[in-house]
Amino acid sequence: MIDSEQHTYIDMIAREARRPVATDRAARERIMTLVRSEPAPHRRSSVWAAIFQPRFSLSPAVSTLLAAGLVGIGVIAGAFAMNRDGHQVGQPRFAAAQRLPVSDTVVKFVFVAPQAEHVSLVGDFNGWDASKTPMVRSEHSGLWTVTLPLPEGRHLYAFVVDGNSWSADPNAPFAPDDGFGHANSVRIVNRGS
Amino acid sequence: MKRSSLRSLPLRAGALLCLAAVPAVAQETDPFNKLDPNNRFSIELMIDSARNAGLPSDALRSLALEGIALKIDGKRIVDRVRREFTLLRTARTTLGPVSDEEVKAAAAVLNSGAKPAQLAAFKTREQGRSDLQAFTIWADLITRGVPSEEASSAISKLWEDGADDAIFYGLWKSVQTDISQGLNPGAALQNRIRETPVRTPQSKGAPPEG
Repeated sequence: MIDSEQHTYIDMIAREARRPVATDRAARERIMTLVRSEPAPHRRSSVWAAIFQPRFSLSPAVSTLLAAGLVGIGVIAGAFAMNRDGHQVGQPRFAAAQRLPVSDTVVKFVFVAPQAEHVSLVGDFNGWDASKTPMVRSEHSGLWTVTLPLPEGRHLYAFVVDGNSWSADPNAPFAPDDGFGHANSVRIVNRGS
Repeated sequence: MKRSSLRSLPLRAGALLCLAAVPAVAQETDPFNKLDPNNRFSIELMIDSARNAGLPSDALRSLALEGIALKIDGKRIVDRVRREFTLLRTARTTLGPVSDEEVKAAAAVLNSGAKPAQLAAFKTREQGRSDLQAFTIWADLITRGVPSEEASSAISKLWEDGADDAIFYGLWKSVQTDISQGLNPGAALQNRIRETPVRTPQSKGAPPEG
């Protein structure tokens, strides 16, 4: 079909569409009465409309991929989010040992517990978390040890035996009662000690 | 619902999940979430106040974490953190501009039963001299049952005589051995303090740090 023929047909259709349609006046009144009796539709706010009536569209596959990517970014960002005191939450275990600051000193902790199945070191350096610093039992002995870098200063610590029993170090000075009914020990770390 | 809205539904769901993921991961790893919101607020307020007052706020945070690890009642943790805040402030006021570690050690001495006036003897010291070891041994002796007055007097005297960390540690080792063998704590200290050597006061003219 050529353009001139196309234009002719389009013009005919347009004329027909523009031609006024004669309707019954009574019928028009009935229709308008019905329309007026309907409640006005609730208008959404512009913010709501902006969020829930997007002016773009994506195929379901692309949308799903994009969503998965955003979730992934969120999880990674969350894992490295900082808490309010500036401490990084979700740090990998023994991260301090992997990045030993120049000022830190490597300190060895020893505890004798022949009957224990599991011993951990807790203290102000690991947030008193018994899962963070497990101690290692020497072969055929009741000696439990762990070595870790600590910054210079005064550190409070205790040993957790089999996950529930807290013990102070008998070979170190005691800290005063912590107010929770448990005894802790004190280790002073000097530079190069 | 429009076709375009249906298509972008996964995108919106993903965005919401993404927004939820950050706090969810942080919540999972922050032990303070184990506290009742009111107790948590009280503790965080004290930590912020300590930081603003130039006190070592990490001591308060550590104390709260210890309480949480021990599954102590939140109200009791708040009370203990409040008490520690007061001790830190008293220690700082008494000693003046010393290091945070010294303030924490001094707060422990006060917590063990020593009086602020007894702590004041440590306000002036030779440059570079640290009282961390002295404070640690002092608090330990009182905790082990040495009367507060006797422990305070002995440690202050050694400090004034110029005792170093090795002397304080040696005294502690001897006294705790005697106590573990059944000797009265006060008597053990009195016996050992007589044997404790002190440094000759050759550098007493050095300018004080505090």
